[in-house]
Amino acid sequence: MNREKSFIKKLSTYLVFAGPATFAFITVIILPFLFGIYLTFTDWNGISSTHSFIGFKNYLSVFQDKTFFNSFLLTIKYVFFTVILTNIVAFLLAFILTSGVKGQNLFRSGFFTPNLIGGVLLGYIWQFIFSNVLVYIGNNFNLPIFSSSWLSNPDKAFWAMVIVGVWQYSGYMMIIYISGLMNVPKDIIEAASIDGAGGFRRLINVTLPMMVPSFTVCIFLSLQRTFMVYDVNLALTKGGPFKSTELISMTVYNKAFLSQDYGVGQAQAFFLFLIVATITLVQVYFSKKMEVEA
Amino acid sequence: MKGFKRLSLIMAFVLMIGVLAGCGSKNTASTSEQELASGNKQSDSSSASDTNKVIEITMLNSKGEIQAQLEEAAKAFTEENPNIKLDIVVAEAGQSPFEKISVMYAAGNAPALAMLDPVDIPNLADKFLDLSNEKWIADAANNSLDNVTLDGKVMAFPFAVEGAGFIYNKAILDQAGVDPTAIKTTKDLEDAFNKVKAAGFEALAISPMDWSLAGHFLPISYATQSSNFADVNKFLNNLKAGSVDLKANKPFNGLMDTFDMMKQYNMYKNDPLAATYESNQQAMGSGEVGFWFMGNWTWPQIYEFAQVNEGFGFMPVPISNNPDDYGNTGIPVGVTKYIGIDKVNNSEEQQAAAKQFLEWLVYSEKGQDMIVNKANIIPAFNNITLEPQDPLAKSIKEYMASGKTIQFMTTMPADHWAEVGASMQKYLSDMIDRNTLIEEIETYWKNAK
Repeated sequence: MNREKSFIKKLSTYLVFAGPATFAFITVIILPFLFGIYLTFTDWNGISSTHSFIGFKNYLSVFQDKTFFNSFLLTIKYVFFTVILTNIVAFLLAFILTSGVKGQNLFRSGFFTPNLIGGVLLGYIWQFIFSNVLVYIGNNFNLPIFSSSWLSNPDKAFWAMVIVGVWQYSGYMMIIYISGLMNVPKDIIEAASIDGAGGFRRLINVTLPMMVPSFTVCIFLSLQRTFMVYDVNLALTKGGPFKSTELISMTVYNKAFLSQDYGVGQAQAFFLFLIVATITLVQVYFSKKMEVEA
Repeated sequence: MKGFKRLSLIMAFVLMIGVLAGCGSKNTASTSEQELASGNKQSDSSSASDTNKVIEITMLNSKGEIQAQLEEAAKAFTEENPNIKLDIVVAEAGQSPFEKISVMYAAGNAPALAMLDPVDIPNLADKFLDLSNEKWIADAANNSLDNVTLDGKVMAFPFAVEGAGFIYNKAILDQAGVDPTAIKTTKDLEDAFNKVKAAGFEALAISPMDWSLAGHFLPISYATQSSNFADVNKFLNNLKAGSVDLKANKPFNGLMDTFDMMKQYNMYKNDPLAATYESNQQAMGSGEVGFWFMGNWTWPQIYEFAQVNEGFGFMPVPISNNPDDYGNTGIPVGVTKYIGIDKVNNSEEQQAAAKQFLEWLVYSEKGQDMIVNKANIIPAFNNITLEPQDPLAKSIKEYMASGKTIQFMTTMPADHWAEVGASMQKYLSDMIDRNTLIEEIETYWKNAK
């Protein structure tokens, strides 16, 4: 009796405080998600009033689709390079900007700015840089690497996307690393110095282990963001030249809305969700294990 | 203490109710607004005579370049019909109109008028109004309703006729001593390119966009299979069935031979994929290049550079060295945008208002002026006698008048331009040879919906 009462009490407290948020979460996230999964079993084209149930056919065509598979591999490659480079650049920036250089606040906000520019706008700016500015420089100073637009060559276009991705995200990650660096207790560093550890040793053996939580967050954020990138992809290359830089989100979108194959597109999206969820959860699990306490 | 706790709980609860109620009242407000917008379905009969009541309708515009002109048209329409207010919604660049309309339908807020590509109309047949009894049906140009006549019912209004081909710069051709009307074979075209080059200009611009290469250029090889529309459709069905051998197909190989030759004279030969639509427009409009494969929709941008309404025209893409072959004298011309009227989310009054707007476009002086003079659209109606001012539209009208047109392929699967476009881009940049191209095109069609 007493137990039941406490349950009701708990529930009412929960409803009072978290009810509205739960309600919103269920209606705009959970229900559409479930409905989306339902649609993967249908042949809906996105607009018609009727659709029929076709079982696992859509999933079958996802696994048979070579374009989807290629685009998936390309995305893995993109995520791999962008995540590593973003975090290296972000950490280096953070390290430099906490070491007391002149005007470090100005630099901090400067490096953070790209994160405030919308992806589409940013994509168009870089498109102009890659296909006009750099080509102009290349032709006038005889630099063969810039003499033709990077965006018209599949390999270079891929690296152009990596560069823009790194440029966009590293400022944000830098802020997280800066806070991580500043939270390393000064007494431990001091103790290490007294024990005779040099700057590099202090960084490897003291600062880095203390900063694992920052790495967990940054790698998680960059993984999730790069897997889902769409706006920069659209504005910078539009998947071109000849679909060679079409990342997974764009493939899914095109399948659903351009090819008007909503069921298959939804199935691809669900598959993508499973992959991203698995990868990020595994990453968070292992990074958490590495965290230490001072 | 306990009393305080309970009090705070109650307070929080009241707050929450307040929040929910706030949401709720907003909802009811918006539904009542919607009811207003849908013309108060219930009070239809009682207020029919009430002239103060304003019927609000929206139109989805999928030709972003004429958004301003359409808004102006809507304003003019409302001036003449003060009880109808028309809002124009645009499908942003890069967004497919089909996606836009599926979102609007999903929200239960479909526009009364939807401007869409021909291939989208059959998908919406169960949501669109049957327009077979409209006045303008009688004045519609030949074949302009074929693509949207389903089960004998006309489902949409033909809005814009467009054409594509080689746009030429008359001044450059005169200087080079080339007569565009005399070019009837691939060989003639190559000679013309050489002459233009000798005169000190770039010969040709090839736009590397997928929608141009596979949306407009390659389909010429489909359209020239036969002068009979039904046979062309049969050809597409055979492609889907996988029973066409493109390797041995004459119009296809003829067009590709021309394309191979064009690649040699392309002004972006060194880096064919780097060219952009904007740089093409500039090259054409400012008189750097003699020929460019494109359609009349690009006129406003050429005009920005050329600043005169003359000096440009269309020329067919030759597909063989026999001047008498079908297609060597005709350019693709067809209705590329249709407007359908929704009957699911819009009340009968709104549907009537939408019909009235279409009629206004075709029969009122102002509406005609908007279409032809302001928006540079070639109408698909025989009763509109206004002459277009831009030279490209004029050129298309001449081809139409002399019957020298081929089918503008608009009923291919919706992703044809993007999928096959990627293959064409590879071929343009010499990444693949013709056999691989043929393989990719055939594979696409076999898997197409």
